[in-house]
Amino acid sequence: MWAYIVKRLLLTLPVIFGVAFVVFAMVRVIPGDPAQIIAGETATKDFVEAVRKDLGLDRPLLQQFASFMGNLLRGDFGRSIRSRAPVTIELAARIPNTLTLTFAGLLVAVVVGVGAGIVSAVRPYSFVDTAVMIVALAGLSMPVFWSGLMLILIFAVRLGWLPAVGTGSLAHLVLPAVTLGMATAAIIARMTRSSMLEVLRSDYIRTARAKGVGEPTVVNRHAFRNALIPVITVVGLQMGTLLSGAVLTESVFAWPGVGRLLVEGILTRDYPIVQAAVLVVALAFVVVNLVVDVLYAVVDPRIHYS
Amino acid sequence: MRRFLIVLATIVLTGALGFSAAAAPAVAPTRGGVLIVGSGTDATTLDGHLYTDAPTATIMDHITETLFELTPEGKVQPRLALSYSVAADGRTWTIRLRPGVRFHDGTPFDAEAAKFNLDRVLNPATRANWRFLIDRVTQVSVVDSSTIRLITNAPFAPLLAHLTHTGLAMQSPTAIQRLGADYARSPVGTGAFRFKEWVRGDRIALTRNDDYWGDKAFVDEVQFRVVPDDGARLAALEAGSLHVAVRVPPREIERLKGSRDVTVQLNESLRTIYAAFNVSRPPFNDKRLRQALNYSINKRAIVSSALAGTARVSDAPIAPNVEGYSKVMTYDWDNDRAEALLREAGFSRQRPLRAIFHHPSGRYIRDAEIAASIQGLARRVGIELELRTLEFGAYIALTSRPIEQNDIQMYMLGWGTVTGDADYGLYALFHSSQWPPVGFNRGFYKNPQVDALLDRGRTTVDQAERDKIYAEAMKIIMDDAAWLFLHSESQVTGFRKNVQGLIVHPSERVIATKAWLQR
Repeated sequence: MWAYIVKRLLLTLPVIFGVAFVVFAMVRVIPGDPAQIIAGETATKDFVEAVRKDLGLDRPLLQQFASFMGNLLRGDFGRSIRSRAPVTIELAARIPNTLTLTFAGLLVAVVVGVGAGIVSAVRPYSFVDTAVMIVALAGLSMPVFWSGLMLILIFAVRLGWLPAVGTGSLAHLVLPAVTLGMATAAIIARMTRSSMLEVLRSDYIRTARAKGVGEPTVVNRHAFRNALIPVITVVGLQMGTLLSGAVLTESVFAWPGVGRLLVEGILTRDYPIVQAAVLVVALAFVVVNLVVDVLYAVVDPRIHYS
Repeated sequence: MRRFLIVLATIVLTGALGFSAAAAPAVAPTRGGVLIVGSGTDATTLDGHLYTDAPTATIMDHITETLFELTPEGKVQPRLALSYSVAADGRTWTIRLRPGVRFHDGTPFDAEAAKFNLDRVLNPATRANWRFLIDRVTQVSVVDSSTIRLITNAPFAPLLAHLTHTGLAMQSPTAIQRLGADYARSPVGTGAFRFKEWVRGDRIALTRNDDYWGDKAFVDEVQFRVVPDDGARLAALEAGSLHVAVRVPPREIERLKGSRDVTVQLNESLRTIYAAFNVSRPPFNDKRLRQALNYSINKRAIVSSALAGTARVSDAPIAPNVEGYSKVMTYDWDNDRAEALLREAGFSRQRPLRAIFHHPSGRYIRDAEIAASIQGLARRVGIELELRTLEFGAYIALTSRPIEQNDIQMYMLGWGTVTGDADYGLYALFHSSQWPPVGFNRGFYKNPQVDALLDRGRTTVDQAERDKIYAEAMKIIMDDAAWLFLHSESQVTGFRKNVQGLIVHPSERVIATKAWLQR
């Protein structure tokens, strides 16, 4: 098991290197001159050229890549082109916010999604099942920039129970977490339901019921645990997505997370920010995938890694 | 007179919409409280000499001060300066400084400090974006502890107006030298507020400077919060999480009329929106076609529908609060004239004029909708415009190519005359020395008469004389139809009703130095 984890972690190195190369190349093929954008649309030609030289953008691409990788190996992401502050400072300010929002959103999603999925699966094709699945479909279909605004209008503007935007307290976290969690909850609910239905039809469930085990125990102990694997996969994938930055949710709720930093970085051609943010996100994806794989073995003893 | 007109225009604008602007307070101001302003983007850097964008200027204007200031009415007046004199040669400017002023870190603001700041901006190694505003200054010298002298390489009339620019503000020399690159995260000025903290992507907080040399601010603290989404920013204002929200979407104005807690205020901006023609190649090297397009567009309709009345139809290439502005003319909507001009140039409905029209999307208020309106209106006289849009970074690169490579026919852009002086609004855009990649004359306009007038406007120190020169230059430019003249934007700002005394400056800045919260 441990050998497996170490092997997987070592495998992340080429992945990160590959990501670094792709990002480096990609930000440089986007049309638009970064020196011009950074200098501002009203900058003089001399100023633009000075900026280009400052940033090393006048050097050959391979040379730029070599120095980028060299700095990376020393843990130096460079300075943001736009703010001239170290990229590590910019990122460090955003990562805790993104983690907080991701876990809070995921908590909402798992509690609501798994709960709704089980309720649906226990009484398939009943009124409750249909109702839950319609709500799930609605949750999945609503764009967050709309549902987020609606939540703000109801709970902040009309009722005045919660702050509308920003960070600072636990109350600030509720609306963005619910907004973010709703869409994910819908996916998890649908996955839980279909997985549960499949398990509930299997022979060992019939056997359990036949030997007189009570229905709650059948559902919770025998069925649910076996239905978990696909659910964990989905949760893992969603978590990766959330970590990479729920850009729209962050924008609506003025949540200063990695996603917004990344988008602003792209719009302003802030290469160091974009490169570092994408690397961090890629790393998060790799780690989450590993955790999911390990969880499989914990949930299902039949799975062994060696 | 012009000041009167602006005030009148503001009254008419707000009056027509049934709003009362945040008027002069009827009760005495109260001290205390935290004023929270919601803006769309975070600051980029807090080094006042290095920033490039208006949202950062807003914040810097509270922390730092300039030698001269541009009042909201468009007047240049001393701030950290006391007075000035200019020698007969028009090249030597002697500026007396306000005595007894100190930076927030205790460093005295004196002639040495002023020289340090101007030299820092002028030093090419600083990479100060706004250096070009004073790059005709060849020497800054200290006369005595409270007097400096600036020498320019030629008479340069806009100098004082340029010294009002936030990018040339006075910052503490000790702090800059001590902190180096980190200064950009903890600025030190002489302003009515001192820097408290910057939570990236979230907020910047400033506290009142109780040792301020002038009238002290009323609020204890002012916070600038970043709320990128226009709808969410407005909702946060309505919920009371913000006291002020910038850039309220025009379509919301009607709904907010009924609000108990929120008012909306319209203020003119220095930003002009236009569509420039590439006059260096067909089809728009033909003046008749440029005029035809100007006549075919109903600008009043665009302003009243797409912008819900929150703009002013351009009657000059610069906005009204710019020094040197005068009303020149408008191409009033006249399809018959447009069609006659088209026929004269050899086009008809059977053989329509076809052109490609580039426009940004999401950069200026409702830019894409306005481009679509222009397309629809032009079609009525038989001009077929094909719309093309690009992300703004790529868009600027495309429109800034040198003449040999620049095959753009017509494109929409905006220009904020941030110095408040006509020189910056006309020279950079219409002088033939300013073709890309040098300057911003992106339509390659060239008229020797205009060149001569703009050169004279620069070197004539007498303002009345300058006004005349610029009026003449603008008349030629408009008659040449160098642009499709559109409108100047208004700033739409939302307030909680308890906010008093806030200034919305035409340079798109919200200033809280005299603001207070009514209990």
